[in-house]
Amino acid sequence: MAGKSDSTFAPPGEEWRPISPKLAVVRRLVMLFWLIVITAAVAIAFSVGGYAVVAGAVVALAVIIVIWQWWLIGRQVKVYRYVEREEDLLVTSGILFRRLVIVPYGRMQLVDLVAGPFERMAGLASVQLHTAAATTDAKIPGLVPSDAAQLRDRLAARGEQRSAGI
Amino acid sequence: MSQSDDTGVAASAPFGATEPRHTHPLTPLANGARFLPVALLAGIVLVGQNVDASNLVLGLLLTAAGVVVISLLIAGLSWIAWRRLTFWFDDQGDFRVASGVLTRTERRLQLSRLQGVDVVEPFIPRIFGLAQVTIEVAGAGDSRAQIQYLSRADAQDLRNSVVARAAGLHPDVGEAPQQALVAVPSRDLVISLLLRGSTVALVLLTVVIVVATLMTAGPVGLLWILLGGIPLIAVIAEYFGFYNFTIAKSADGLRTRAGLFQVQAQTIPPGRLQAVEFVQSWLWRRKDWVRVRITVAGMASDDDQNQSGSSFRQVLLPVAPYDVALSVVNEILPGVNARNTPLHRAPARARWRAPIQHKFLGVGWDDRVFVTDRGRFVRRLAVAPHARTQSVRVTQGPWQRWLDLATMHLDSPVGPAKVIALYRAAEEARQLADEQNARAQIALKTDPAGRWMQAGNRQDDS
Repeated sequence: MAGKSDSTFAPPGEEWRPISPKLAVVRRLVMLFWLIVITAAVAIAFSVGGYAVVAGAVVALAVIIVIWQWWLIGRQVKVYRYVEREEDLLVTSGILFRRLVIVPYGRMQLVDLVAGPFERMAGLASVQLHTAAATTDAKIPGLVPSDAAQLRDRLAARGEQRSAGI
Repeated sequence: MSQSDDTGVAASAPFGATEPRHTHPLTPLANGARFLPVALLAGIVLVGQNVDASNLVLGLLLTAAGVVVISLLIAGLSWIAWRRLTFWFDDQGDFRVASGVLTRTERRLQLSRLQGVDVVEPFIPRIFGLAQVTIEVAGAGDSRAQIQYLSRADAQDLRNSVVARAAGLHPDVGEAPQQALVAVPSRDLVISLLLRGSTVALVLLTVVIVVATLMTAGPVGLLWILLGGIPLIAVIAEYFGFYNFTIAKSADGLRTRAGLFQVQAQTIPPGRLQAVEFVQSWLWRRKDWVRVRITVAGMASDDDQNQSGSSFRQVLLPVAPYDVALSVVNEILPGVNARNTPLHRAPARARWRAPIQHKFLGVGWDDRVFVTDRGRFVRRLAVAPHARTQSVRVTQGPWQRWLDLATMHLDSPVGPAKVIALYRAAEEARQLADEQNARAQIALKTDPAGRWMQAGNRQDDS
């Protein structure tokens, strides 16, 4: 069954381009940071309140979540792919919740180049496409900034050529 | 309630630039008065909280005085703003508004990019005989101008001359003639609102709240409930909002108009229609009634927040027999019969993902539109023209993956109509997406979004 679904979201025959594996490092660090902050706060609150056992359980749960997320993030970054075709852009992603979005260049209204603080530290950037529909949600993270800028310019130029209003 | 009553009034604007003019001099008073109900409510709450029974009269007097003073203050501020607000058409025929007391703003609306013009008569200004005109052009962010307030006739004239200029016609051409299509009888509206699962739920909820309040807070609590705690108010507000609903056809689009206290009027230009949804509640099926909701580009800014899909602008018809609704939609999407489009049903194994609605999931298309069907108790038939497809998506959660199912989405701008082919065979979902993408791209080349209205259109009809 898995094989069939794979071809639903990223069939062979296209030159699917992966994103940088460095994104996994960034996401794992961000995940660790938040989990440690939240777990520490909750665990300390419980142990101060005299529920040391509960605090221990919270920490154990957090460790399980970290392991699971660590694995999941690695997989997610591995399957995040995109392909620029003649008339449209395809982006596929997701492990548990799989997604494929097809955006015709003629529908693009804006192409953003974004780099959050953690992405910048790792030398990464994202390209985000917008159409008139808010649900389009075509984002390509984990690009080398120079590649991202080129991709943005390429997409914007194609969008310009084929632009058709909404 | 026909809009064409006002058309005979001569618009004195010459073709080209016009003199800057003010809004109606009663505007500041109307603005002050608009605040009264809110202030009164706030005052009553304050009195209720802070004054015991012995001081009740004094408290009420003070509140009344306070409310009057604040309303006058608002009217005064509004008067200063009123003096500084002017609007006119410039040499290029575009619409300009200058406003602001401390910070002066001058906004220019390029009428060739017009999305729509609304005339609204809010309750209090309506008592003064005033109306508000909202002009919206295509553009990112806030690309509208609200002219508050004009006399009803002036508002209609302004609307007509904006529409005429946008179409490249002489501004005095008046309003395009209109032909009434449907008027929703008040009785049908009431019955349709009562025959809805959500209304039944709201009635139950209201009973629970009233009983619970009476038991915990005693009769005093009823005052609090009256101040907005009754869920049923939503239904009553809907009734007032859609009261006397009429829809008419004219060269510049479909015109809807409704309202008991606040009268709203909207023109839906054919080219701006992004998606349509026919919604049929379970209890409406015997009468074969349906509500038609629409997604229109632009003209949404305020209503984007309203996800209930019952705001005036999102509704093309609050309730009508199905065949009547189809014929109205046909006016904006000629040659499209959504109900007769052959639908492909979801595979039998979809029952493991959607045990209730699986038999009702469907997807279909013809050479102009894409159609999806879903819902067991509330049937939703959604229609989107290929030429308005923004993007397509395929999604699959873990449970769908286990069943080898996937869902195909057609992305439209924010609005009530959701075009979604739920729980197809995974391969089929991908195929649907690819094919729809191809259809959308062909339509994109042959049918780019038109201007708000073509000048030719209108002259044909008038």
